[in-house]
This record gives sequence, structure tokens and C-alpha cells, in this order.
Amino acid sequence: MSLLLNLLGPRRGFEGGLFMPEFKAATARRPIENITADRALFVPLRLAESWQTDIVVSQGERVVRGQRLATACDGRSAHVHAPTSGTIAQFGRVWTPREGYLPCAILEPDGRNESVPRSLAWMSDSFVGQLTDRGVISPSPLAPAAEVLRRASAAGVTELIVSAMETEPYLTADLRTLVEQPGRLIDMTCEIADALGVARALFAMPYRHRRVVKRVTAEAQGRYVEVAALSNRYPQCHPVMLVKTLLDREVPPGGSPLDVGAVVIPLAMVRMAAEAIIDDIPVTHATITVAGDAVEHAGTYRVPVGTPLRALCDRVGLLGPVGQCVWGGPLTGISITRDDAVITADTSAILLFSEFEAREPVPCIHCGWCIEDCPVGVDPALLAQLESESSTDALTVAHLRACIDCGLCSHVCPASLPLSATIQRSRRRLVPGASAAEGGA
Amino acid sequence: MKADLAIQEAQWVPRAAPHRHGGSTHVDVMGSWTLAAGIVGLCGAVLFGPAAAKVLLLAMLAGIGADFVVGYARGRPVVGGLSHASLTGLLLGLTLPATVPWYVPAIGAMVAVVFGKALFGGLGHFVWQPALVGRVIIQIVFWPTLSLGGDNATAPVLAPGHLLIGRLEPAVQVDMPGYTGWQRLPRPDEPALRMERPVSALRAFAEGHIPPDGDLLYTPLLRDRLPPWEDTVFGTVPGPIGATCVLALIVAGLYLIYRGFLRWQLPTAMLAAAGLAAALLPIESGGGDGWDWFPVFAVEQGRAVGVAYVLYHVTAGELMLGAFLLAGDMTTTPMRARGQIVFAAGVGVLTVFMRLYGVLEGECYWSILVMNTLVGVIDRRTKRDVLGMEPA
Ligand code: SF4
Ligand code: SF4
Repeated sequence: MSLLLNLLGPRRGFEGGLFMPEFKAATARRPIENITADRALFVPLRLAESWQTDIVVSQGERVVRGQRLATACDGRSAHVHAPTSGTIAQFGRVWTPREGYLPCAILEPDGRNESVPRSLAWMSDSFVGQLTDRGVISPSPLAPAAEVLRRASAAGVTELIVSAMETEPYLTADLRTLVEQPGRLIDMTCEIADALGVARALFAMPYRHRRVVKRVTAEAQGRYVEVAALSNRYPQCHPVMLVKTLLDREVPPGGSPLDVGAVVIPLAMVRMAAEAIIDDIPVTHATITVAGDAVEHAGTYRVPVGTPLRALCDRVGLLGPVGQCVWGGPLTGISITRDDAVITADTSAILLFSEFEAREPVPCIHCGWCIEDCPVGVDPALLAQLESESSTDALTVAHLRACIDCGLCSHVCPASLPLSATIQRSRRRLVPGASAAEGGA
Repeated sequence: MKADLAIQEAQWVPRAAPHRHGGSTHVDVMGSWTLAAGIVGLCGAVLFGPAAAKVLLLAMLAGIGADFVVGYARGRPVVGGLSHASLTGLLLGLTLPATVPWYVPAIGAMVAVVFGKALFGGLGHFVWQPALVGRVIIQIVFWPTLSLGGDNATAPVLAPGHLLIGRLEPAVQVDMPGYTGWQRLPRPDEPALRMERPVSALRAFAEGHIPPDGDLLYTPLLRDRLPPWEDTVFGTVPGPIGATCVLALIVAGLYLIYRGFLRWQLPTAMLAAAGLAAALLPIESGGGDGWDWFPVFAVEQGRAVGVAYVLYHVTAGELMLGAFLLAGDMTTTPMRARGQIVFAAGVGVLTVFMRLYGVLEGECYWSILVMNTLVGVIDRRTKRDVLGMEPA
């Protein structure tokens, strides 16, 4: 059925890419479930090593839900708030998959979950100011929401694209949000478009879920948000591909949509903004998909920030030993190597697999699948041979930068070669000034 | 708690994305190719009897054996050894007639594995399809056994009622002009029929060796030298074990296409190009007094003999075997579908060209090897445009 829908779906977009097996059946129909904090939370006091925050609570102090734990020192960092009421037991360090060790506050919940009295909390009236006050962030690229909007304005964007394309297998957090609160998301998209003053606001979502598309389209009726239903060929979710499909503009190698006058905002940021502004609660929870074949109750959960992985596993239940744990999607995610990792606000999924998929690489058998499926059109087999080179020419550098790290080439390679990982390494080594997160999906 | 114990930190090895692989590994690829070749081999064994089965088995075993020896000499097992060596052996066996002495497939498979594959550095590194390298080398070495002329002008195929178990000797010589087809033949006492290979008749015709009958140029060929066309499709004509049964080849090819290990563009382009070349390229009209262009339009006595002639070109000979099993090897074909179209079209045209004007036998094998040589150039010419960059 999905194959037929994909065939009938709108024919526009990019060359390459692949329709993935979805593995979403288990989670797509379960409503988002709230997980309450009943054990100690290890709340990271900043989301990235480079962010600057000042701790504004002290050890032993009682905090309530939504109370600020750390304030951002500048515009490039975000405030952190307490996910529940309780006592600050200690300050320490906690391991996060994306950034490694970060300072954290250990919060012992008292189970009362009292919230902060409203009048105390907020100072700002402007939309962007409200986003800042409530610590709204954008998970990818990782930045405070206000900073994302500021950069977009500075670049003079004319199009806003909100991306609810979850084309990676397993992920359903965006889909569930769309099913449960389409109106709020559209409202918030309009607000963001207003704040940016863009000419067009596009809302990209998968065509495959046509009833959800209908509902969202109905919500958007009469607003200036256009709903664009796209085929869910992976990596349609990537900003570069969205810009290509929706606006037919090509982002230069290593660039971002800002370079071609568009800004792509992940639905997670819109969801956080909606919670922050409409419900008036700061960012203290992450809506994440917990799935994989080792999970007993796979589904989408709203998890307090700072919940340790162990506590989450107890909550969702495990069917057996976990062989591999992934932070994020199965194609672009980061592998979790420690069971004391915590859920951060920029988490989109935790995948627990019973099996560690390791295949022995053999020499390239020249099948051409990696070239055929690469969404940007580089030759991954060729780029992967740069592994042992110490310098290269300008064209190859451009190709290295054009790669968007979608992981498809490694995914399809029958010789099990780690192509995308090798390309990433080569880029870091050979391309001057390229950061590891360049492009990041 | 059970769940707590279930997480064992020691197991969590860091790894780069992606964390899940697609369905197929090189083992699946080789396995499917071997299965497809096996289907064709089975049909060959039915059509040519135990002799054919013996040739195929010997070729496979010799291939596997050679791979082991190479692995032993190198001190480590060869990657994808068993499956790829047996596939190479099997493919080589399919290109041989069932009547060859036992040492031909054995030596051929060893040559294929050692010179075709191991010398280049094993799986994924060779430039020419290994089975065909073996095939052309033994074609030169065992010239008298494998050439199509002289003693080998006629070759046997099992007669009706003797399939699968019959021996190829003694054979009854078929009188071609009166031959109405394999299926209409009454069950003869001898287990096999001996007749000219269709492809030899086509070659002789192209060289002008078949004298015209008055005005009729094509009719003598079709009437007096070739079996009915259905026979070349069902495979009941003499020829290499795997090349005669077109139906089996199509089934094998469709299976590979379905599995995604052969791009449909490749056999399609190859057959279309070969058909087109046969339809357009001129033949020497009898006696050598000029060229007859565009044979496809020939009409004699109200029959579209030209079309029949083209159809024979497509189904007779090794073209089908080449299109579905030999040319499609991943390592020796261009990476992209459009490169493969160029490649396959080249093979098709070259095959027919060599058949019409060349002296080399096994024209399809030679054409594939020639085009294998050009794969690098084709790959360079059929690059994709990179997103966000000026087309080069
Ligand atoms: S990871 Fe890079 S090279 Fe590989 S398919 Fe994706 S874009 Fe192409
Ligand atoms: S997918 Fe793997 S085996 Fe196939 S061409 Fe690319 S690198 Fe080679």
C-alpha cells in the first residue's frame, strides 16, 4: 500500500534517495505518553560544551517546575529550567551522547510537581523574547530558537520551511505531534513566519499519512501557511533536500539553506515553541520516540530532561539484552556507549536494538548502488578512497563538503563498507574549516 | 530488576552512523547470481544430459579448488571465496558445449579463478569478467576442441524422449532442409540429434557462403540451414550448455532483476542494440557481388524473412547468455544505469558486428571483454551532477 502511495505521490524532488522500510507501525498509533519523574534527574546545565550559562540555584535549594536553574550568558546559549519540583541534591557531570560530559544539577523530585507562579517567571513581551525566556531551542542545527531566527533574519530569508518530514525509520515523534495538536503547530508556524517577515511559509509533511495531511491542511485553511505533502523518500527530511524539492534551489556544497534565502526549522522547535508560548511552560521535556526491537512498549514519550537512560528503559520495558543503543535516527544518529546517558532537550529518539549489526567489510564490488542512491550525486566509493590521502584537489573538497552525511551509501553498500563515516573523517581532515556538524540532518 | 541487568555496558561499542544496514550483502548478491546461473545450468543439463551436468560440476569444483589454493598461497582465505568461485566456474561451464573433454572445464575454471580474478587482487578488483577471461584463454589453448569449424561443424543435442538421461553419442545426423522442428520429430532410436549450430549458419550466411536460390537471398538460409525459430527459444539446438535455452535465461534474468542485482536496462539495451545492429548492418549478398543493406526490410515470396533473420540473430548464439548472465557482473560493468546502457549497447552491436564480419568465434564473449576494458571511460563520462555545483 505504501508503495502505491509513494508511486502516486507528487513527483518532484531530488535525484537518488531511497524509500526506507518504516518500522513505524508499533509507535505511530500510540498517543504521546507523559513520563513523570520519579527518580533523580540529571539535568544538564547547558546543551553544548561551547554554551555559556550561569547556575542560579544552590545545592540543597528547593526548586519548582519551570524554575530557572541556569541562565544563558549570551544570545548563543539557552536558559535551563527544572522539569519538576524537588531539591537540588548536588552538582555534577553527566554524559550526553552529542556533547560528551556536561555539568549537571542532580534534582531529587518530591513527587508534587508544583509549578512556578506565573507572574514571577517571564519578563519579555516580544515573541522572540518569550522564546528566549522559556529556553526554546532548535535541535538541529543545535542553537537557541531566538538565535536561529536572528540568523535567518540577518540572512534576509524569504521562505520559511517547517519540516515535519520524518523519513528515517522508527521516528514518529513529529507524526504524533501532528496528529494530536495540528492547530497549535500551524499557529506557531504563523507566529514564527510573522517574526521573520517571510514571503512564504511552507509546512512540509509526508504525503504517506494522508489523513493527517488533510487535517493539517484544514487547520491551515485561510492562513498563509502552505502545507506541502512530500513523498517520504529518504533523505527528504534533510534541509538541503527540502529546499531542493520545495523551492528547486540548490544549496552550494557545505552551505545551509540560509545561503539560498530560505530557513528550514525542525518541527521539534515549533513544538517546543508551542508548549512554551501557548501552554506557557518552559522547555523542560523532550518528546522522543523510544523504539527498536528490544523495547517492550515502543512509543512516543514526553520525557523530563535529565532522565537517565536506565530509568527510561525501566519505564518502557525491555524484551532482552540491548546490543546497541542509538541517540536519534537509525541513519544519522549517534551511538550511545554508556548507560548513564541522559535525555537532553534536543533528543529526538532513543532506539534500543537487541543486536549489534556488524558486518565485515569486503572490497567494493562496484555495484553502483551508493552512487545511484546518493541524494547529492557525489561518488561515495571514490570519496571513501581518500582515507589514506593527505591532500586533495578543489573539486574533491567541494564533493566532500557537498555530502550531507545522510548515511545512505553505507546503508545500501553490499560490501558493508563504512562509506559515510570515512567521508566524514576525510572531510574533517582534508577540508579546511569544516566542522563535524556541518550539514547535520 | 530484569531490565536493569539487561543493559550491559561492555557491549555498547561506539560506531558511526548509519546504525542499520540495507538488506543485501555481497553474499546475497553472489548467492542470487549463482542461483540464477544454476537455473540455466539445470535446463542445460536437461537439454544435453549427464555430459552437461558433468561439465558444469567439474567447472564449479575446479573453481572452488583453485580459490582454495589461491587462498592457501596467500595465507588467508579469499573474500567471498566459495560463492564467487563457484559462480565463476558455473558461468564458465555454461559457455562450453557439453561435448568437451573433462579437462577443458576443469582447466578453464582454474584459469578463470587464477588469471581472471586472483591476479587482479580478488573480489572487486578485476577488470574483465573472470569466467570470460578463462573462456577466451581456453578457446585459444584448446582451439581444435572449441572451434566451430572442421570436426565441430555439427554438434549434438538430445533427441525428443531422451532428455535428461540420454547420452550425446551416437547421434543421428539431421537433414536440415527437411527438418520441421524438434518437437515434431518422432522419437528416434539414437539418443541425440546432430546438426549445424544456428549461429554457424548465420555466420556462413553473412560471409556469403550460402548461395542464393534465384532471387531468394534469405530463404535458403531460413529454409535449408536453420531449425525453426521456436527451437532456438526452447533451446533444443546444439550450442553451449547455457546459451541455447532462452526461456531459462529470461527466467534467470528476471529473477536477478527482481532481486535488484541486475539492472533491467542492461539486458534490454544489449538485446535491443544487437537486434538493431542485425536489422541494419549489411550482409554480403551471395557470390560476393555487393552488400545487402537493411536486412530487416527483406520480403521474399510475401514473407517477412528479414524480421525472422533478425529474430534468429537475437536468440541464436550466446547473446542471450551474455545479456542475462555474463555481461551483468557488477564489478565489470559501469556503476550507473545510464553507463550500463552505453556499455550494453556497445556489447550488443559489437557482438553482431563480429558475428557478421569477424573471424573470432564466441563473439559475445569477446565483445563483453572489449567493453569491460572501456568501463573506466564510460564511468567517467556518465558522472552525476552534484547538487549545488555547476555541471562539469
Ligand atoms: S552520506 Fe554523503 S556520500 Fe553518502 S549517500 Fe549521503 S550524501 Fe551521499
Ligand atoms: S555500494 Fe559499496 S560495493 Fe557498491 S559501488 Fe558503492 S562502495 Fe562499492
